[in-house]
Amino acid sequence: MLQDILIAVCIAQICIVGLLLVRVALGPSVGDRIVGLNMITTQSAIAVLFYAAFAQRTFYCDIALWIASFSYLGTFVWSRFLERGLL
Amino acid sequence: MNHTLVTVVAAVLSGIGVLVSLTGAVGLIRMPDLYTRIQCSSKTVTLGVIPTLLGLAIAEGAVTAYGGRALLITLMLLVLNPAASHALARASYKAGVPMWRGSVSDEPRQEEAQHG
Repeated sequence: MLQDILIAVCIAQICIVGLLLVRVALGPSVGDRIVGLNMITTQSAIAVLFYAAFAQRTFYCDIALWIASFSYLGTFVWSRFLERGLL
Repeated sequence: MNHTLVTVVAAVLSGIGVLVSLTGAVGLIRMPDLYTRIQCSSKTVTLGVIPTLLGLAIAEGAVTAYGGRALLITLMLLVLNPAASHALARASYKAGVPMWRGSVSDEPRQEEAQHG
């Protein structure tokens, strides 16, 4: 029963990622694509964590932690690039 | 009985989180403007991630590998997500991304016009 809930949440998050890819493909400016990618990485980190709990693989949790932390680093770097240019 | 209660609570919390995330995705597609999209993204990520990961932490127990990582990711998102959204909105405003034509308030430009 608990396993069904875990895999259902994982699949739902992957469907949400599919919806967000529409905005990443359409977005007129760079900022729209960054917002879409930021939300995609967060939802996929949750999906990886729920899949780890579903499949009883402990080291997938660390992958979720890495995805969640370094996606925000990417957002900061992109916004710095938009604000100040390359230097 | 206790196991059933834990499962039900985890299912309800995860369902709430997934629904909020779904509204965030729909808002990100439907909103007309970069700044309104940033608003949709930041609020719904915060409000959608916390119940989902709390559901996982309740289902697996808070001190196991999964629940501990879930709580860690929740704390990290609470700190990092508003900061990232603010930095992105500020950078886009400075880069000159246009607002929606129905927007009614542009406070930095109004202050600049007042104080010269």
